[in-house]
Amino acid sequence: MLDAAPSRSFDPKDYLRLQYMPHFMCPGCGHGIALHALLAAVHDCGIAKDDLAVVCGIGCSGRVGGYIDANTFHTTHGRPLAFATGLKLARPDLTVVVVTGDGDCLAIGGNHLIHAARRNLDLTCLMLNNEVYGMTGGQASPTTAATRFTSTTQSGAIEPTFDACALAAAAGASFVGREVTRQAPALKTLIARALRHPGFSFVEVMSDCTEIYGRKNDLGEAPEMILSQKADMRPDSHRDATDQPFRPHALPTGVFVERDLPEYGARLRAHAAAIRKEAGR
Amino acid sequence: MRPLPNDDFAPAPWPVTTGMNILVVGVGGQGVLMISKAIALMAQRRGFAVKQSEVHGMAKRGGIVFSHVRFAEEVWSPTIAKGEADMLVALEWAEALRWLDHLRPGRGVFIADTRQIVPPFACRSRKAGAASAYARETPAEIVGRHADGCALDATGIATALGDARAANTVLLGRLSVWLDYPVAEWHEVIDAIVPKGTREINRKAFDAGRAWTAPAPDEDDAAAPAVAAPMPDLHISVAIDPAWCKGCTICVKLCPERCLAMEGPVAVVATPAACTGCRVCEWLCPDFAVTVKNEGVPA
Amino acid sequence: MSARLTALHGNHACALASIAAGCRFFAGYPITPSSEIAEHMSHELPRIGGTFVQMEDELASIAAVVGASLGGLRAMTATSGPGFSLMQENIGYAAMTEVPCVIIDVMRGGPSTGMPTRPAQGDIMQARFGSHGDRPVIALAPASVQEIYTETIRAFDLAERLRTPVTVLYDQVIAQLLESVAVPPPEAVHVSERKWANGAGPAYQPYAAGEDGVPAMARPGDGHRAHTTGLTHSESGFPTQSPPVVDRMMRRLLGKIDVNQALIEKYETLMADDADVLIVAYGITARAARRAVTVLRAEGVKAGLFRPITLWPFPEAPLRRLAGPARAVLVPEMNAGQLVLEIQRLVGRDPPVHPLGRIDGEPIAPDEIVTAVKELAVHA
Repeated sequence: MLDAAPSRSFDPKDYLRLQYMPHFMCPGCGHGIALHALLAAVHDCGIAKDDLAVVCGIGCSGRVGGYIDANTFHTTHGRPLAFATGLKLARPDLTVVVVTGDGDCLAIGGNHLIHAARRNLDLTCLMLNNEVYGMTGGQASPTTAATRFTSTTQSGAIEPTFDACALAAAAGASFVGREVTRQAPALKTLIARALRHPGFSFVEVMSDCTEIYGRKNDLGEAPEMILSQKADMRPDSHRDATDQPFRPHALPTGVFVERDLPEYGARLRAHAAAIRKEAGR
Repeated sequence: MRPLPNDDFAPAPWPVTTGMNILVVGVGGQGVLMISKAIALMAQRRGFAVKQSEVHGMAKRGGIVFSHVRFAEEVWSPTIAKGEADMLVALEWAEALRWLDHLRPGRGVFIADTRQIVPPFACRSRKAGAASAYARETPAEIVGRHADGCALDATGIATALGDARAANTVLLGRLSVWLDYPVAEWHEVIDAIVPKGTREINRKAFDAGRAWTAPAPDEDDAAAPAVAAPMPDLHISVAIDPAWCKGCTICVKLCPERCLAMEGPVAVVATPAACTGCRVCEWLCPDFAVTVKNEGVPA
Repeated sequence: MSARLTALHGNHACALASIAAGCRFFAGYPITPSSEIAEHMSHELPRIGGTFVQMEDELASIAAVVGASLGGLRAMTATSGPGFSLMQENIGYAAMTEVPCVIIDVMRGGPSTGMPTRPAQGDIMQARFGSHGDRPVIALAPASVQEIYTETIRAFDLAERLRTPVTVLYDQVIAQLLESVAVPPPEAVHVSERKWANGAGPAYQPYAAGEDGVPAMARPGDGHRAHTTGLTHSESGFPTQSPPVVDRMMRRLLGKIDVNQALIEKYETLMADDADVLIVAYGITARAARRAVTVLRAEGVKAGLFRPITLWPFPEAPLRRLAGPARAVLVPEMNAGQLVLEIQRLVGRDPPVHPLGRIDGEPIAPDEIVTAVKELAVHA
């Protein structure tokens, strides 16, 4: 299913449902950039569209899947990982990608995230983190930074935030990485690595909500927001160079966890085969 | 002026009894400091007083790195003044040219890697194959101006041996022809300073540099320009689909060449000829509205 | 080959029937008094190439079941009241996206944690209205271990055939009751094959249906690359809020039940044709009612029993026909009066419909029904 060298050059239009384009995301929304990177990664990995299943939750991130010309499932709020677990167990032949958001994955779906990470079923979870509930009008999410204004934190957010990557890693995910949409080619490479990784892979994409979050917090227009990503990020190449953070409050990017752990589906099937063999005796 | 180096040129060992000033130059990551360390170590073993001073602040960014190595019975100043270097070892061609005035007129030895790393500021345009402001002197011209020395494709030699990073050791091997201590002793010095796993490749690189012979003049590409001829224009086209563009202006403001502009609510291609095909606009367009096509070199 | 008689607990019979019906995926979360189903499935499924997975909660369990069914497997989960509450949203999703699945709800005393080890019949309205919005609902209410076996198989048949979630409701008593079951030979078990979109061609519309109201389903990998969403969608499967399209799609979705009513409807009667007092009872309570009818008839009281086996959609026409000539209708049930509301809606004021509810965690005894019927027979 996955082969090394794609034969054709990449054209995102080959992977989009053109009849529904342009998509409904706001101008400058980072989710479109993440979608582009995902499609490029799928192409790089040589995954056939018929063999690709994209499972989404609810919210802006939940609508990303509908534009992909594959087997796409727009499920319920917070549950895409649980749906994907059933789908992947039923159909190990499919490459199952979950596209979720910070609210979908960390708030209402937090329990499913940690258990999917623990189980280590071969899923690729792409969490588009725009630090806000965009679809419902810009309410605070578990990743809304302190002092940020949202429609439910009108005098500034005060709650601590989740570090989604640390959470996934602590829960046992065998592949964890983060990238900003500004580094789209690097994001593509990261997603491709996650797709090739056998086991649960978690990729956090720092995506800009320009129209709601950006406006409300005076973060500038789309270009200013995307440029400021680079000021915040601290790639792993820099991290290797020194133990100290490159900048205070910097956002680490790159691959944080890549470990060889038994994949749940394979383990389950091997276990069943052993039971059958014993029963046959 | 000495004749161009050729097959029958046999370098004379330097009379290393009174000490030397050696200047090692290059850019970050090439191993300037490793060479100077090796020279310093060797000089120490021979009972000389050694001073080595270096500048490596920009190393991580590919910036300039140089190292002054001075050894004699007694060394006072840590740096080498202009015109007082007995040897100039350059790991990078542009740096070689920049430091030429430090060589002792009439008897300074010049050793350089001919591999060019074209810095961004030498590019008049980021378009592939565009003319650049890089030095046009050929290696033969430069070597010819000095009492002694050679210019060799050390990176190419090291790459052929299996690791381009050993190019510095190739030059060290070349240098040993003038600083003619026993090869076994040089090997020991190398072993002492390189990581364990790279000892073999570094020894091979050293030997290859030491054994290097200049190509015959007729095979030498002395006449060829130092900079490759500009490549023909690539077929690059950038297009914006106004039906999909939502006017977020990301492409307009992030294009390094300022090729794109807003026209009313949508982005348009304003100066298509300036496009270098870097695809920043295509990658960062959230709406799949930008398409960059690179058809390659036309037949 | 004839049926094989064997003694089974209700939950065990449910598990065996599911496997006989071709169920190859079970996702669940432990909850009394349904856990034995999961335990049996975890033992059986790996032996026959199926998959059992214990999920992190009931929300995830039903989601995984729907995911597996979307992948093409016959899939189920089992739970009890509190878990059934948690599943409601995704049951609605399965109904909206027309994904076949079977949910077993072993009813226990409620509300909230209630009485985990005591029987009740308090989830029947949750089965009907638990998920928000209007949705097609099929719920079956077996009254014996034998019936758990046959109705579980029928639940899979209806789910696959009509592409909808089907709930099987029974209570703690028959769940953990040991009874003889005539296990039919495999060749006698029939479960319809889901309508697949194989070779449907480029004009295929994932939610376009014919007369039976059931669209053909795209299976991932078959080349259709369909979109599935819980948003209101058009025949294409993509979201729409166009009023005429939404109206058309929703009426087709809900009408799927009406069109196939004859197929879904199932009930049993006992001396109901000439009954003065018609008892309407289901599940464990119907067993007490059956005994009460026998006792009452022996005493000269013309009592009869109407027992819906398909609880939703309710067998409206036969009930109306049988209740019409009766002088009173009694609805004994182990809740504060749920099905009685539906019977009152169907029958109206004539004859009068009376509830007989019990909410103390004890099954209703035949005597209670006998007493209540005698009272009605005198006063009516």
